[in-house]
Amino acid sequence: MDTHFAQRRRRDLIVALCLAALAALAPLFVKDVYVQNIMVLTLMYAALSQSWNILSGYCGQISLGHALYFGLGAYTTALLFTKFGVLPWFGMLAGGAISALIAMALGYPCFRLRGHYFVIATIVIAEIALLLIQNWDWAGAALGIDIPMRGDSWLKFQFTRSKLPYFYFALALACIAWFVTWWLEDSKWGYWWRAVKDNPDAAESLGVVVFNSKMGAAAVSAFLVAVGGSFYAQFVSYIDPESVMGFQFSLLMALPAVLGGIGTLWGPVLGAVILIPLTELTRSFVGGSGRGVDLIVYGALIVAISLALPRGLVSVFSLRKGAAR
Amino acid sequence: MTALLETRGVWQRFGGLVANSDVSISVGRGEIVGLIGPNGAGKSTLFNLIAGVLPPTQGSIIFDGEDVTRLPAAERCQRGVGRTFQVVKSFETMTVIDNVIVGALIRNTKMRIARQKAYEVLEFCGLAARAEVLASDLVPSEKRRLEVARALATEPKLLLLDEVLTGLTPVEAQTGVELVRKVRATGVTVLMVEHVMEIVMPLVDRAIVLNLGKVLVEGKPAEVVRNPEVITAYLGDRHAVGA
Repeated sequence: MDTHFAQRRRRDLIVALCLAALAALAPLFVKDVYVQNIMVLTLMYAALSQSWNILSGYCGQISLGHALYFGLGAYTTALLFTKFGVLPWFGMLAGGAISALIAMALGYPCFRLRGHYFVIATIVIAEIALLLIQNWDWAGAALGIDIPMRGDSWLKFQFTRSKLPYFYFALALACIAWFVTWWLEDSKWGYWWRAVKDNPDAAESLGVVVFNSKMGAAAVSAFLVAVGGSFYAQFVSYIDPESVMGFQFSLLMALPAVLGGIGTLWGPVLGAVILIPLTELTRSFVGGSGRGVDLIVYGALIVAISLALPRGLVSVFSLRKGAAR
Repeated sequence: MTALLETRGVWQRFGGLVANSDVSISVGRGEIVGLIGPNGAGKSTLFNLIAGVLPPTQGSIIFDGEDVTRLPAAERCQRGVGRTFQVVKSFETMTVIDNVIVGALIRNTKMRIARQKAYEVLEFCGLAARAEVLASDLVPSEKRRLEVARALATEPKLLLLDEVLTGLTPVEAQTGVELVRKVRATGVTVLMVEHVMEIVMPLVDRAIVLNLGKVLVEGKPAEVVRNPEVITAYLGDRHAVGA
C-alpha cells in the first residue's frame, strides 16, 4: 500500500522530467519565431496556472484577482530596473516577496469570506489595484513603462535577437511551479489545504488551523505568479496597467487549471498546452477585429468540459488507470 | 482522581434561546459516558462547546487540568480532544487514507510516519481494505467509521462521538459498539451522544441526561432508564405514572 503510493509519486516525477527534456529539445525542430512565441506563452501560462492552482485548486479559495500579483511582479521588476538600475533577477525576487506579503495582508480580511463572496472580493481588489496603477504618475500611469533595451545579456535578462533564452526561462519556471506543487502535495500543507477545501469545520476539529493554511497557500501562490509577471515584463519589454493587470490575466490563469483538472497536479499543464495555442491561433486567424473570438472558443470549451468531464481532462487518464487496476 | 473533562456552570444562549443552562458535568479518565436526552435538549450544543466550535456564553470548560474555555477547536485537538460530527463531514475528494492522514499529521510531522500511523488506525477501525477509495464512495456506515478513524489518528485523550451509532442497521451498530469498546481499551476516554437507548445503555459506564438545556439526572444506565423524570422527559407524563 505504502509502496503503491511512493510508486505513483515517483512515476509523476519521471514523467515530468521526460516532458521537460522533450520540451527542452523542441526548439531544435521548431525554428518558426511565431510558434516559438506561442510555446513561451504556453509554458508561462502553465506556470501561472499551476501557481494559481495552489491557492484555488488545492486550498479551494477561488481567486479571480491573480492579475494583481502578475502585475505587481511586472511593475516591481520594471520600476526597480528603470528607476534604480536594479537587475531584473533581484526585481523578480522583490516582486515575489512583495506579492506574497500583499496576498497575506489582503487574505487577513478576505479569508473570513466564504465561497462566492471571496471570489467577488478578489475581483474587486484587483480592479482597484488596476485603477491605482493607472493613476500613479511615478509608475508611468496609463502610459506604462518602456523597459530600455541595452543589448542581449543574461545579467539584464534581455534578448532581442532570439526568443530561446525566454523559452528556457519559461520552461524552468513551469518546471519549478510544477515541482513546488509536487513537493507540497505530499506535505503537511498539501493535506491541510485539501482538508480546508473539502470541509473547513472538520479540518479545524482535526487540528488544522484553517486561517493559517489559507495564508500559506496565498503567499506561495502569489510569489510564483509574481515571478511569472516579472518574466512577462522582460519578455514583452513594455508594460502598461491594462496589459499586465487586466482581468483577462486572472481568467487565463484560472482557465487552464479548470479545463485540465482543478486541484490536480497535471491539470494546469494539460489545460495550458491545449488552451493557450488554441487562443493564440484563433486570434491570428480571426485577425485584429476578432478580439473576443478566442474568448468564445474557450468559453465553449469550458462548457463542454464541465458538462462531460466535471473533474477536468485529467480525469480521463485516472479513469483508464482505475479500469486497468 | 481529577476528572479529564469538567464543565463548570456552562451557559449557552442563542439570542433568546437558552440551549444550555448551568450545565456542570465531569468525565473521569477511562470512562465511557453517554450523553442522552430528547431532541432539542442541548446535547449537540454542549458537544460543540466542549470541542471548541464556539465559546460558551458563561461558565468554563476544564480539560486535563487546564482551562480551555477560550481555546479554538484546532488548539483543543492539539491538547487531546477528538470528535466526530453528527452529520458526517468527510473530505469527499480525498481518499480514505488521506482523510486519516490529515488527523495523523498533528502528532507526526514526517509524512511517511503519518501515513503509516493512518494505516494502522484504519486497520484498527476495520477500514484498511478501503484505504485507497475516495471518501465520497463509502457507504454511510463506513463514513461513520471514517469519522472515528480520523479523530483517533489525532491520538485524543477524550473522544467525542456524536451519534455515531444512529441510522445504522443492528449489525452495523453492533460493530460500532465493539469499536467503541476497543477504543476505550486503548486508554481513550469516550463521551458519546446517542439516541438509540438499547444500544448505548449496555455500553456506557455512566449516563448523563439533558433536558431543556439542563442536566436532568446522571448515574448508572440501569438507574437512569428507570428514573421517572427521564421517562417523563422522553415519553410525557402519562407514562411516568406507570413507572
